[in-house]
Order: sequence, then C-alpha cells, then structure tokens
Amino acid sequence: MTALVRSELKKISSTRLWWGLLLGAMLWTGLNAGITAGFAGIEPGAGQPASPGLDTPEAIRSVYAAAAFGGAYVFALILGITGMTQEYRYQTITPTFLVSPRRSRVVGAKMVAHLGVGVLYGVAALVAAVAVGAVVIGLRGYDLGFGADRLWSSMVLAVVAVALWTLIGIGIGTFIRNQVVAILVGILVTFLLEPLITVALNALDLEAVGKFLPSNASSALMAPSNSFVDYLDWWAGGLVLVGYAVVLAGLGLLANIRRDVT
Amino acid sequence: MRREGFPVEVAGLTKMFGSVKAVDDLTFSVQPGAVTGFLGPNGAGKTTTLRCLLGLVTPTAGTATIGGRPYRDLDDPLGTVGAALEAASFHPGRSARAHLQVMVLGAGLDPARADAMLAQVGLSEVADKRVGGYSLGMRQRLGLAAALLGDPRVLILDEPANGLDPAGIAWLRTFLRTLAQEGRTVLVSSHVLSEVQQTVENVVVLSRGRLIKQGRLADLDSGPRGVLVRTPTPERLLDVLAAAAGPQPHGPGGEPGPSLRADERTEAGQIRVVGATPDQVGHLAFEGGVELHELVAEASDLERTFLEMTQETYGPAGGAAGPVGTDPAASGSAIGAAGRAEQQRMASQ
Repeated sequence: MTALVRSELKKISSTRLWWGLLLGAMLWTGLNAGITAGFAGIEPGAGQPASPGLDTPEAIRSVYAAAAFGGAYVFALILGITGMTQEYRYQTITPTFLVSPRRSRVVGAKMVAHLGVGVLYGVAALVAAVAVGAVVIGLRGYDLGFGADRLWSSMVLAVVAVALWTLIGIGIGTFIRNQVVAILVGILVTFLLEPLITVALNALDLEAVGKFLPSNASSALMAPSNSFVDYLDWWAGGLVLVGYAVVLAGLGLLANIRRDVT
Repeated sequence: MRREGFPVEVAGLTKMFGSVKAVDDLTFSVQPGAVTGFLGPNGAGKTTTLRCLLGLVTPTAGTATIGGRPYRDLDDPLGTVGAALEAASFHPGRSARAHLQVMVLGAGLDPARADAMLAQVGLSEVADKRVGGYSLGMRQRLGLAAALLGDPRVLILDEPANGLDPAGIAWLRTFLRTLAQEGRTVLVSSHVLSEVQQTVENVVVLSRGRLIKQGRLADLDSGPRGVLVRTPTPERLLDVLAAAAGPQPHGPGGEPGPSLRADERTEAGQIRVVGATPDQVGHLAFEGGVELHELVAEASDLERTFLEMTQETYGPAGGAAGPVGTDPAASGSAIGAAGRAEQQRMASQ
C-alpha cells in the first residue's frame, strides 16, 4: 500500500496541474482574506447589521482561518477530482490497473496521497490568508489578533478541512469518470446548489438539516463570524466531511470497480 | 540469461459488449520459449482478448489465465506479465522517465529499472521530455519499456510494430526473438501478417472473435513460391517456358523439371512461373532471346493465405453465406493494412 501511495504522489508531482492549482488557491485565498478583513465591521448599508468588527475573535477567525478554507477548498476539490478522472482521460488507468489489479487499493492509495497534498494546499492557503489578512488588519489600525480565542485551533482545522475536500474530490471522480462533468458537478454543487439549499432550508426552519451540508460542515471547523447558520461542533463537522468522501468513493467503487477498461 | 515463461491459456472466452459479440467462445494456448503471433483483421477481437487476459475487461464467459491464474490473482503482476497495449496510455504532460517511475514505485521495483529500460529502447536522450511531443514510434518504444520494467516471464504486445520505421521493426524482431530464446512467452498481435511473419514461429489466427487457426506459421504456407516475370512479348516467353518444361537438363542451378508451370497472370501484367528459380527462368529467357523487364522471386504466399482465411470479415465475395453488413471503416483499414504491407515489402527489398 505504501508503494501505491508513493506511486500516486509521483503521479501528482510529475505533471504541472498541482502547482497551478496551488498557485490559484493561494491567490484566491489572499483575495478572500483581504476582502474579509477590509469589510469586517462595516455596515453593508440598507439598514442591515454590520458583521462583527476586527476586535472580535469571530472576525479574526474569519480572516485567518475561514478565508483560507474558503479560498482553497475548491482548488483542493478539483485536485481530488482530476486525481481520478485524468487516469481515464489519458488512459493511464490501464498501466495503473496493470500495476495494481486490485482496484479498490488504487482508490485507497489515491485518497491517502491526495490527503497529504491537500494538507500542503491548506498550509499554503493559511500562509496566504495570514499574510494578506495581517496587512489589511494592520492598515485598518487594529491589533493583528493572533491571540484571539480559538484562533490557532481554527487554523489547524482549516487545513484539515481543505485536505478533506481533496477526498471528496476523489469520491466524485470515482463516481463520475468524465473529467469535465465531474468538475462541473463539483463546482455547481458547492458554489450554487449548496448556498441555495442552505437558504431554502433556513426558510423552511430546517437549519438542523442544513448544517450537515458539506460547506456548512466545513465552516463548523473554523467557527467564523456568521449570523446565518447554526454550525455543528467542530469534530462533528470533520466527521461529516469524511463521511461524504467515503460514501462517494464507496458508491463510485460499487458503480465502477468491475467496469471494463477499454 | 534464462527466464522461464508461463503458458498463456484462453478457454471458452466470450465477451459481449452490449449485443455485440467481440470474442466468441475462443480457446487457444500460447507456450513459452517462442514468439507467437496473434493475428486477425481489425475488429477481430484481438485487443479485447488481450484485455481479458490482463484483467482489464471482465469476460462474459470463459477464462483467460497466465500460468494457470487470472491476472487479478497474480502476486507479482509486473514480474509475471509485461504488457504494451495499442492505446497510447500516457499523460502528455508527464515525461517518459516519470511515467516509468510511477510504475516502478507502484510495483516496488528497483528504481534503477526505469532508466535501464529507457536505455534499452533507445529513449535515454529524451527521457525528461514530455510524452506529448513524442512521435508514435517513440510512444511504442516507451510502451515496450513499460512492459519490460518487471523483467516479466510473459510479454503481451498489442500491435507493437505500428508507427515503427523499418529499422525499428528490424530491431523489434531481433529483440522479441531474444526474449523468447531466453525462455519467455511472447505474444504479439498484428493485423498485418507481413509485419510479424519473420518474427513469429507460431500463430493464433482470429476472425470475427473466433479462432480460425492455431499452429506453426510454417503450416500456413501452403502453395509453392513462384517467380514473377514481366516481358513485352509474353507469348514468346510462354512458348520458351513450355518447351523447357519436361525432363531436360538446363542452365545454372540444375533442372527446372516437369513441375514448371507458367499459367498465371498477375494484375500487374506479370507471368507467374512455378517450379523454377529466378536464375533458371532468366537463363531460359536469355537462351530463347526473350526480352525481360522484370524478374523477381515471389514473396511468401502467407499474406494471401492469411487474407483468404480471414476475408469473410469483409463481406461475401459472391453474395453467398458470408455475414452481411460489413463495416465501411473496417474495409477502409483493410486497404490501409494492404498498403502498409506493400510498403513493408518494398522496404525489405
């Protein structure tokens, strides 16, 4: 199994996609953190309440931890999806299955390898969020807030959440083998469908269901400033994410494990 | 170096893709120590059979085993079987070296094997270039290098000569023979007999998913070889040859003998003479004062035998019992195959 994991790491590192996605994650995260810090505590207008100011721990966690997750998780998701679908797209699945005819072990090795690279993505995003966030907070004249309540645990959990989204990507890619379709589905669900479902569930007084959606379960790990959703406990959020990844990959394996490679 | 191969056995193998029967109750075996050609026109089911052998395609019925075990149950897959399949299974953005290293790491092989195999197939200088820029011939070599990584006892190659230049084909021929002489099992598929006929000892011939023939290549060679002659005065040549037929002593190389016949005209306007060598025919023409424009020994008749055996794939000749609905694409590639065979012949002359 360690041999297969090393093989998967070599697959990731030997093409250029991984660092392109990493660069994108860092840029997007920096922007995300800058905007979060820039607008924290400012009334959006039209009589709506302001988000918590930069002197609250919630706002600091939003800038340093939640922004890192929010900027990086889609890139981690795409890394995970392509980790599976590129094998079919370029037919490298043939040598892969020749090396390891037991196919479920290949998926397992991919999960372990991508979890590792996902941690790297999370750490890089965290660096970007802290760098940009601290500059903006400093410019606005606030304390940088590194001593804020639960900040450090939120930062660690943000890294964990980013890494878990690569697993969800592997799950999606195992289930949907077409790369374009898999990425579209992944992005549509997380960017469009999930927020809509959250709003709809809230309107129906079903927040208890909405907090189990993957993005909300992820946010539970970072405890950002939010007036909208009542999050799960952090550990429950993490378990929910692992659950999504395992269920998707399991379904994918069931659907595809014996499928012919032609 | 001795490396004993395992027998490859296919028994009652059937594979349906939807309602299409790609392989139909196929049974054959391939023995170690020889190169075996796996022959048939495009669409005959060769690739599907090989993919069943390699555990990539699940048979509808029957078994395909290597040394008595299905591929999925092998303890050391790459050390047992090395395979290069027709599809170009490479990530275009990955270098040749990285492609092999991925496999070496996954199979737990000696890390030095990747570079050693690149050297063996002559790709060392381009090892760090992205495969996307490789020619078809270079990809074939890389596929071969991948197949050899585990020093396998059984080698399964799908159309390995595709895209190779004549020098590459000559190199491949020697290489495969050496591997077989070391005791390994070597199975090479091709839809062009002339590509492999100088390489293989045994053949398994397939058409429409069914076994047409299994045996020694020599057994396919039915008719005697002839001599092809072109002359502006064919009638005179025929007279001269007719006079020579019979038990009379003649020129260099001994007697043409009573078996000399010259009854056939080829499409190119040549006269086909059997029962005599080119030397003898040339001498007869010289003595008879017949002007010759071409005098050549006929190539082996195998290609024709092969086509006759498998031609029902291309539809009925006389509208009789043959299957209906010939795939136009298949006919197109048959023409392509014939053209390529022609090139091969020209290159080897």
